[in-house]
Amino acid sequence: MGNLSSAAAGFLRSAGFAIVLFVLLLAVNLLLNPARYLPGNWGTLIGLAAPLIGASLASAPVILAGRGGIDISVGPAMGFVNAVVIQALFLNLGIASPALLIGAALLTGLAVGAINGLLATIVRIQPIVATLGTYLVLAGITLTIVPAPVGPAPAWLKAMSASWSVLPLAAILVIWLGIRRLPYYDLLMAVGSDDRAAYSAGVPVTKVRFVAYLITGLFSGIAGLMLTALIGSADPNIGANYTLIAIASVALGGVSLAGGRGGLAGAALGAIDIFLLQSVLTSFNVSTYVLQIAYGTILVAAVVLTALQEKLFNGVRAR
Amino acid sequence: MRSSGFLGGTSGRALAAFLIVIALHVVGTMLIPGYSQPFAIRALLVLASLLAIACIGQTLVVILGGIDLSIPFVIGFANVVAAQLYGEQWNFGLVCAVVGLGALLIGAFNGYVSRRLDIHPLIVTLGTGMVTQGAVLLWTAGFPSGSAPQAVSDFVSIGGSAGPLPVPWIVPAVVVLGFLVAILLARTPYGRRLYALGSNPGAAPLALIDPVAMWTITFALSAFCSAITGVLLLGFTGSAYGDVGQPYLFQTIAAVVVGGAAMVGGQGSYLGTIAGALVLTEINTLLIGLGFQPSAVQAALGVIIVLLVSLYGRERHVSKTI
Repeated sequence: MGNLSSAAAGFLRSAGFAIVLFVLLLAVNLLLNPARYLPGNWGTLIGLAAPLIGASLASAPVILAGRGGIDISVGPAMGFVNAVVIQALFLNLGIASPALLIGAALLTGLAVGAINGLLATIVRIQPIVATLGTYLVLAGITLTIVPAPVGPAPAWLKAMSASWSVLPLAAILVIWLGIRRLPYYDLLMAVGSDDRAAYSAGVPVTKVRFVAYLITGLFSGIAGLMLTALIGSADPNIGANYTLIAIASVALGGVSLAGGRGGLAGAALGAIDIFLLQSVLTSFNVSTYVLQIAYGTILVAAVVLTALQEKLFNGVRAR
Repeated sequence: MRSSGFLGGTSGRALAAFLIVIALHVVGTMLIPGYSQPFAIRALLVLASLLAIACIGQTLVVILGGIDLSIPFVIGFANVVAAQLYGEQWNFGLVCAVVGLGALLIGAFNGYVSRRLDIHPLIVTLGTGMVTQGAVLLWTAGFPSGSAPQAVSDFVSIGGSAGPLPVPWIVPAVVVLGFLVAILLARTPYGRRLYALGSNPGAAPLALIDPVAMWTITFALSAFCSAITGVLLLGFTGSAYGDVGQPYLFQTIAAVVVGGAAMVGGQGSYLGTIAGALVLTEINTLLIGLGFQPSAVQAALGVIIVLLVSLYGRERHVSKTI
């Protein structure tokens, strides 16, 4: 119980501003557009937000693993999964079975994660460079497979962004809750906060980091399915856009880019904040330029306020 | 400074990058007719020079242990604002002063906030970059107008010449800049502080190095170099375009790393970065010359970056860092 409440306190501290922002933005959204938030529309609403939440959740594990751990190939990986599922399997080979397509998406994600993990942890290329390499390769292959948007997607898959949109997110939640119960989770956080101390204590640092890339890859696969469900087609130009905004969401949710601090709840919350902000601004009908200024401002303001609050908190505790 | 073996040290890595440039050029000359024609080489040098100027700041920032994602946005800012103001009949010197000052402020904000509040510079620079670009687009309503003075266009024109040299002025300018930055890094207190702070952020303040001041100055310099690139690109392309800097987002990082710098800080040289910029430009030219589609060029570039860096840019195992 004490453990649980301390975990909750940690979440409140690291993601404090994201929670405040969430409440504010939700209130504004409800005022502006109550009809959109009726329970009957939740399926579509979650489906709209899902790819960003998925991308954000996928970005988090490698960031938690520390020492510059980052995967900027999450976005292109989602686009690649989208291309493989729709163009290569569904349209070319005529495979429509959910089990096969979902399995293929997960395997594709895992394979990308394994390559990133191999490059970043075993070959020991700096993660941002290694995943930049996979970013370029995946984006290039995706454009080669799908030169222009094509459709459609199988009906069951489209339902995953409507009435069943909560399913893929629930899948990530279940997997992550499972991981949190394993000793692996503690090793991951230990490696993320201080890899040298963890190594001295006998933690297989390389293996732990490699598995973090696998988890990120797996979640990117699921996020790729969410993206496919939402757009209902194969589109080579959408996936890559998710990378930077997902990393921004992760930071907004209080996950330290230095590793070892924060969690997936924060990452999800950060993504939800950005989604809610997006819908407030679009309902004001502002231009995309203003949208961009608002994104940037809120992002910087949020990380600044979180840092200030943390400094204040540490100051109080030190006294 | 760690210098284990031929390719271990920073200068070894820079040398390796230069050898790769030569190897790539030989391959290109053998495979593609006209690859070593004067015009082709000039084009290559101009493109590499533009990239090299944009990379000055990224090199300094990476040695410091940071990263600057605002470079493409500041390039776009300088590009559009310079064109717009010059189009409104402003004096070009004044235009450059305004653009340069604006860039310095953006960069100083990036560095100050990142270090003072311990926020990862990736987030801060991304945020300020987005705000900057949004503000510029809002101001010009998405349709920037105006152009650069003829002198700037001549400075970067592929067909231009610098006195007796058969290359435009930008190429010798980058050579001079390369020497200046090398002196800045090796022979000035600023340079020594930069490496000291990058290799050990905890110990440097004990040696009376002010981390906040160093970060503020370095990020301001980075934005300033981006602004120069933006104005030069205006001369190069002839008209303003807000997204003109976007390819530079990842290219600056790739050039710096191919040139032997380590993202964890404390390691790297501008000479290496120049080599890195040449490598990237050679690869790009070579692949397009071989008739690859842009998407295939992109994919091949990814593979080659990873291969090169795995050849000589590997990080140490955690057991070697204790």
